[in-house]
Amino acid sequence: MEILVRGLVNGVIMAGILGIPVMGIAVIYGMTGIINFAIGSIGVFSAYITWYFMDRNVLLAILLGLSCGFGLGYLIQVLLLTPVFERRKGDLNLFFLITNSLGLIFVGLTRVIFPRPTIRLDLPRLGSLTLLGVSLTGMRLFAVLFVVGCLLLLWLVETRTRVGKSWRATSQNLRLAKVVGINTGQAFAVASGIGCMLGSLGAILWGSLYNLTLTTGFQLTFTGYIIAVVGGIGNIIGGMVAALIMGMVISFGGYGFAGAWQSVVLYGIAMVVLVLAPKGILGSERSV
Amino acid sequence: MSELVLEVRNLSLAYGATLAVKSISFEAFEDEILAIVGPNGAGKSTLLEAVAGLHMAREGSIAFKGRSLTGTSVFRRRLMGIVLVPQDENIFPGMTVRENLEMGAFRTRRGNVKQKLQYVFDLFPRLKERERQMANTLSGGERRMLAIGMGVTGEAQLYLIDEPSVGLAPRIVTKVLESLKTLQRDTARPIVVAEQNTKVLHVAQRLLGMEAGERRFFKSVGSLSQERLKELYLGLCEREREA
Repeated sequence: MEILVRGLVNGVIMAGILGIPVMGIAVIYGMTGIINFAIGSIGVFSAYITWYFMDRNVLLAILLGLSCGFGLGYLIQVLLLTPVFERRKGDLNLFFLITNSLGLIFVGLTRVIFPRPTIRLDLPRLGSLTLLGVSLTGMRLFAVLFVVGCLLLLWLVETRTRVGKSWRATSQNLRLAKVVGINTGQAFAVASGIGCMLGSLGAILWGSLYNLTLTTGFQLTFTGYIIAVVGGIGNIIGGMVAALIMGMVISFGGYGFAGAWQSVVLYGIAMVVLVLAPKGILGSERSV
Repeated sequence: MSELVLEVRNLSLAYGATLAVKSISFEAFEDEILAIVGPNGAGKSTLLEAVAGLHMAREGSIAFKGRSLTGTSVFRRRLMGIVLVPQDENIFPGMTVRENLEMGAFRTRRGNVKQKLQYVFDLFPRLKERERQMANTLSGGERRMLAIGMGVTGEAQLYLIDEPSVGLAPRIVTKVLESLKTLQRDTARPIVVAEQNTKVLHVAQRLLGMEAGERRFFKSVGSLSQERLKELYLGLCEREREA
């Protein structure tokens, strides 16, 4: 019984941590139709900035890292991705190459600016909590609450506010959105900014639990991407469901099979799902 | 003479190597409904979309209220008051009827939005009944009404309406075309409407006949007998059949 509870709680938490970059990918894809493979590396770059300023003020350092993620995402969209998109609509191969190159550029930049191959972010524990007999550090709980809070906030903004409705409109029919006078370039940029900010938060949390290395970004991106596809790419709820399943597999897998088998089982499941349901668990229609 | 709003000069438009519109010239004045008529593939939609900024001109120019639109984006043209109601994919499927209308009014001054929505609901009471319904659950006719309604909620200086009647039941066609007349009377803005249905003869003041991307005639409806009009109109379709 205790193992079950512990497994469930850990699974939810793992899902929360995995869910953040998944949400980042889903937000960007849902709006722009582009899968940005650079968000993990941009996230790691931002996490290094947070790490650099950690000694002065933890909260400010985190905010700085997140702002950096948002700003980079926004600028990349405005200066590079949107202009390319306007000329070469829907060329997925091209965007695969461009965003991966961008990711490698940020790996390089991180290496140039911060000559430390591995870092660990010692975030404050924010106290700890005992839930159903399982002791949790505040940071892990925060990851879960943050994901739930983000979903709720996104839903409220998109259904209640004028700007949020215009984002939904842009994602549903880009041409018509332009025709009715929505500044779709700005909507794209904001989505890209939010996505990269989520990538940054994912990297910061990752760095507080494990080590961050220069290439952790690609690991974050691809894990996030595969989970997003399993859930139905662009479908944020689907992505969260998939993250929950994967989180549970990781959590319970710890009891059932050795850690070395984890990625085999995890990506095996992903492949089976994609063969049976190529559009993912909940389909790739955008929701939320 | 009323004010000149839109002036198209020797406009040519192409999809890749294929010319869809060949050196078309026409103008639209304040206070008129101008119908662009012609068979499928005549280039009517392409022409309207070019005025809205969705296609770049191969040759020629478009001027709006005396200002050249060369290099002006879709977004900027909308801010200038050029409102397009496209023929297809003209609604946001996953939003309610009301949200769609609000998006149509995205660039309408806040204070005027409520009144604009009310105007649309008076024009198409059906939309009021369906206000909270998702747009993708509407019938074909209701969708068309919604699309036109989205145009109407905008503060337009010029309406461009693409084939409002295509695929609709005859009774609804009359209703939709009559609504254009009402709209023109109430707003005093020019409407350029692309249309294949002959019923448009009852609402338009002038006709631009197009075929295979070329201008065939440009005439005032009042100056012609109904018979001659029908002849001209049907002539376009006859030639197409022979070709």
